[in-house]
Amino acid sequence: MAIVAQTPDILGERQSGQDVRTQNVVACQAVANIVKSSLGPVGLDKMLVDDIGDVTITNDSATILKMLEVEHPAAKVLVELAELQDREVGDGTTSVVILVTELLKRANDLVRNKIHPTSIISGYRLAMREACKYVEEKLATKVEKLGKDSLVNCAKTSMSTKLIATDSDFFANLVVDAVQAVKTTNAREVKYPIKSINILKAHGKSAKDSYLLNGYALNMGRAAQGMSIRVAPARIACLDFNLQKTKMQMGVHVLVTDPRELEKIHEREADITKERIQKLLKAGGNVYFVESGAIALRRVGKEDLRHVAKATGATVVTTFADMEGEETFDSSLLGHADEVVEERIADDDVILIKGTKNSSAVSLILRGANDYMLDEMDRALHDALCIVKRTLESNMVVAGGGAVEAALSVYLEYLSTTLGSREQLAIAEFAESLLVIPKVLSVNAAKDATYMGLDLSKGIVRNNLEAGVIEPAMSKVKIIQFATEAAIMILRIDDMIKLVKDERENEED
Amino acid sequence: MHAPVLVLKDSLKRESGSKVHHANIQASKAVADIIRTTLGPRSMLKMLLDAAGGIVVTNDGNAILRELDLAHPAAKSMIELSRTQDEEVGDGTTSVIVLAGEMLHVAATFIDKNYHPTVICRAYNKALEDSISVLDKIAMPIDVTDRATMLSLVKSCIGTKFTGQFGDLIADLAIEATTTVGVDLGQGLREVDIKKYIKVEKIPGGQLEDSKVLKGVMINKDVVAPGKMRRRILFPRIILLDCPLEYKKGENQTNAELAKEEDWEILLKMEEEYIQNMCMQILKFKPDLVITEKGLSDLACHYLSKAGVSAIRRLRKTDNNRIAKACGAVVVNRPEELQESDVGTGAGLFEVKKFGDEFFAFIVDCKDPKACTVLLRGASKDLLNEVERNLQDAMSVARNILKNPKLLPGGGATELTVSAALKQKSSSIEGIEKWPYEAAAVAFEAIPRTLAQNCGVNVIRTMTALQGKHADVGNEWIGIDGNTGDVVDTKERKIWDSYNVKAQTFKTAIEAACMLLRIDDIVSGIKKKQAPAAGPTPPKPKAEEEGDADSEQILPE
Repeated sequence: MAIVAQTPDILGERQSGQDVRTQNVVACQAVANIVKSSLGPVGLDKMLVDDIGDVTITNDSATILKMLEVEHPAAKVLVELAELQDREVGDGTTSVVILVTELLKRANDLVRNKIHPTSIISGYRLAMREACKYVEEKLATKVEKLGKDSLVNCAKTSMSTKLIATDSDFFANLVVDAVQAVKTTNAREVKYPIKSINILKAHGKSAKDSYLLNGYALNMGRAAQGMSIRVAPARIACLDFNLQKTKMQMGVHVLVTDPRELEKIHEREADITKERIQKLLKAGGNVYFVESGAIALRRVGKEDLRHVAKATGATVVTTFADMEGEETFDSSLLGHADEVVEERIADDDVILIKGTKNSSAVSLILRGANDYMLDEMDRALHDALCIVKRTLESNMVVAGGGAVEAALSVYLEYLSTTLGSREQLAIAEFAESLLVIPKVLSVNAAKDATYMGLDLSKGIVRNNLEAGVIEPAMSKVKIIQFATEAAIMILRIDDMIKLVKDERENEED
Repeated sequence: MHAPVLVLKDSLKRESGSKVHHANIQASKAVADIIRTTLGPRSMLKMLLDAAGGIVVTNDGNAILRELDLAHPAAKSMIELSRTQDEEVGDGTTSVIVLAGEMLHVAATFIDKNYHPTVICRAYNKALEDSISVLDKIAMPIDVTDRATMLSLVKSCIGTKFTGQFGDLIADLAIEATTTVGVDLGQGLREVDIKKYIKVEKIPGGQLEDSKVLKGVMINKDVVAPGKMRRRILFPRIILLDCPLEYKKGENQTNAELAKEEDWEILLKMEEEYIQNMCMQILKFKPDLVITEKGLSDLACHYLSKAGVSAIRRLRKTDNNRIAKACGAVVVNRPEELQESDVGTGAGLFEVKKFGDEFFAFIVDCKDPKACTVLLRGASKDLLNEVERNLQDAMSVARNILKNPKLLPGGGATELTVSAALKQKSSSIEGIEKWPYEAAAVAFEAIPRTLAQNCGVNVIRTMTALQGKHADVGNEWIGIDGNTGDVVDTKERKIWDSYNVKAQTFKTAIEAACMLLRIDDIVSGIKKKQAPAAGPTPPKPKAEEEGDADSEQILPE
C-alpha cells in the first residue's frame, strides 16, 4: 500500500526536475528557431498553408505562431507571449521570443551547475529592473530633440523587416501622416486612436500606388442604383435597425375579426418605414437614405458604424421611440461630413466619407499584386502604426539594430562585477543573453556573428541613432520586461503532468 | 539522451531553407509553362474539362488558370496574379504569369550561388522602378475621340484571341459599347462601368457577324400575357416597379377569424380592390409598358391588358437598373407614389422577338442610352463563351484607353526597350545587386522570346536581331509581328498595347516574384481555427436577411 501512496494515480505522464526544465528549454528553442530567420531587415518570410489550402505569407511572429498549432505547453507560453507583445506594443514580437529562449537556455546551464532557480530568478529580476532603468535614463532620447523625422524613422525601422521594406520611405510617410491625422486632443491628454485608421485592401496596381485618404472608406456600394453618387455637404444618420417592413418580434399572432382590419395592418406595415424615413429626411439626414438625392448604405459592419459615428459626430440610433412612446428623430443625432461619394477602386465600389467633422478618421487604401501580399502589407502597416503611436506617446526613442541590447549588455556585465552574491552569475548571463538580438541580426545578414558581437560599442550606438534606425524606448522596455517575466515563469516549473487524452479524441486525430 | 520534444503537431509538414526557394520557383515555372503557348496572335487554345464535365475552350490566361486545381501554395499565389490582372485591367493575364515565372527562374541561379533573397528583391524593385520610368518615356499619347486609332488599338490587343480571325467585329462591338456607357466625370476623366451597365447576352444560332451592340437593353423575357398584350410598341412610355403587383402578404403573421359568411366575401373583394387600385394608379400615367421585378397576378394582368398595356414580370434588379439607365425611367417601389418624371420615355421601340424557341424583349433605339446590351450570336455555346471572354478583354482595353489615353509598342517591343535600358543602367550599379538587376533585364526578354517561339520562327536569330536593333537609340518601336514572326516597326504595323496594361503587368509580376522569393519556410497542414485577426473582417450577412430589399436573384417562376 505504501507504494500506491507514493505515486498518486495519474492517468498520464509525469516528469520532474531537470528533465522538465531541459525539455521546456528545448521546446522554446524550437519555437524560436522557427521565427529566428524573420528578424531584422534581411529576415525572410514564412508561408503557412492550412488544411483547406489557404495560404498566408507573413513575417510577423505573432501571426506565425498563432497559425502554428503548438502543442508543447512551455512553447504555448511563448506563443501567448508573442500575442501579448503584439497587443501591447504591436511590434517586436520576434525579438521577444528570441530573447526569452536565450534567457532560458542560459538559466538552464546555470541550474545544471547547481545554482538554484530562485537565485537565478532574483538575479534576472534585478537585471531587468536595472536594464529598464538604464534604458530610460541613459539610452533614450527625447523625440523633440530629433524632430518629425524621427517618427518616419521609427516607422521605417519597423517596416524594414517586412515585405514592404524596399518602399519603406514611401510607407513610413504614409503611416506617420495617418497617425498624425487621427490625433485627438483631450483636455488632459493627446491620444492616437489607431483603430480609427481604416485599412482597406484592394488588389491591383502596385504597392507604391497605395495612398492615404482623408476620410472613412466603407467597402460597399450604395443600396440602390437610383441614388446619387455624391452628396455634399453630407449629414449622416447612423441607424442600428432595419428599415424594412416592420415585423413583430417573436412570432406574435394578431387576431382580427374584421377583414378590413387586416388590410389596415398591411397598410400600416409599409407606412411605418415610410414615416421613419420621412422623419429622418425632415431632420436633414441626406446620407444613408433613398430619394431626394440621398445615399443609403445597408449592412454596414458594427465596427464600421461606430467609427463613422465617431468621425462624423453622429449618434448611433437603435430605435426611434422616445419617452412618450412616439417616434422621433432629432437632427442633433446627425453627423456631418463635407462630402460623401462613391468611387470605384479596382473592381469594387467604395463609399468614401470625406472631411468628417471630428476629423479623426483616415483610411489607408492598400494596393498590391495579390491578396496574400495585401494581407502581409496590412500586418506590416499595423505594426508600423503601433510603433509610431508608441513613439508619440512615450516621446522617447532608442537606437535600433541591436545597439541598445549591446549597450545594456556591457552595462550589466559591469554591474554584475559589483555584486557579491550569487545573483552575480545570473546577471552576467542576462547580459550575455541580450547579445542574442544583434547576433541573430548579423546571422540573418550573413555576417560573422562573433565579430559583430565584439565590435558593437558606444560609437556604433550613436551612429544608429543618427542613421535613423530607431525604435520607441517603450517597445524595448516592454520586450525586456515581457521576456524576463516569461522566462521566470517557465523557469519556475519543475514538474509537468500531462494527462492522457480521451480515447475518442485520439481516434479523431 | 532525452526523448524528443514534440512542439508541433505530427500532422504539420514543414520545409525550410533553400529547398523552399527551389520548390517555389519550380511551382511558379510550372504554372508559367502551362499557359506559355497561349501568348501572342499565333497562340493555341486550351481545352479544359472541369469537374462537372463541362468544357471550356479558351486561350485567356485567367480563364485557364481559374479552372486548374493546384496543390502547391506558390502556384496558387501565381494564379491569384492572373486574377488581379484580370480584375484590374482585364488584359495581359498571360503575360503577367510568363513574366513572373521568368523573374523567378532567373533568380534561381542566384539562390544557388547563395545570394540572400532580400538582395535579389531589392535589385528587382529597383529594376521595376526604372522600367516604369522607361515606359513613361516611350509612351505615346493618343486621341480617344479618333475612332480609327481606337479601333486599331483594340484590334491589336485582341489580335491574340480566338476572335482575331473575325477582324474588326469584336473591336467594333467593344468600342461602341464602352463609348455608349462612358460617363464624363469632369476634368477630362471618364468612368466606364462595364460590370454594371454593359450586359452581354449570348444567343446560340445565327452567325457571329450578326452580333451587335443594341442602343438599349435586351432581356430574356416575354410579355406576361402573349396574345392579349402588344408585342411591338413605338416610343413606349415605360414604368419600372420593384414591388409585386399582387395582393401583398404582411410581414407579421396574421390570422383572420371569420365568423360570418359575408366577411369572407369582403375579404376576397378587398384583395381584388387592392389590385384594382394599384393598377388604376399605374394606368393614370398612361404607360405602354410596365416592368416589375416581382410577381404580377392574373388579375393585375387582366386590368393592364384591358388598358392595352404590356407587362413584363420577374426581372432581375440589375436588368431593371440597366433599363432605367437606358430609357431614363426611375424605379418606383410604391405605385401610389408614381410621378410623371418617373416614366421613361427615352426608348424608341419595344419589341418582342423570337430566336430559336425563346422570346426576347428588346427596348431599343434609346435617345441617349447610358446602358446597353451586346448581343452575341454564334454557332455553339462554347464558342459564344469564348467570344464573350474576348469581348470582355476588348472592352477592358477600350476602357483603359479611355481612362488613360497612352500607348506603348506591342509585339514585345516594350519589353525589349525596357530590357535594353536596364542592361545599360546595370553597369552603373555598384555592389552585389548589379547581377540580379541585370538578370531582371534579361527576364523581360521572355515575352518577345515566347512570342517568337509561338509563331514558329528561328528564336535565336530573331532575338539576336531584335537585341541588336534595341541596343541603338531610336529603335524603341521595333518588335515582332506575331503573325509572321518578322522583325517590324510596330508603329507602322499598328501593334499597340495600352499603357495601363503594360505597367500593371510589370508591377504585378515583379512584386509577386519578390514576395515568393522572400519565403524561406513553408508550414502546411494547419487546421483552420479562426481567421487571423489582422484587418477588418468583412461585414457578415445577417441571419435575418430579407429578400425584398436587395435580392438580385431572379425569382423562380
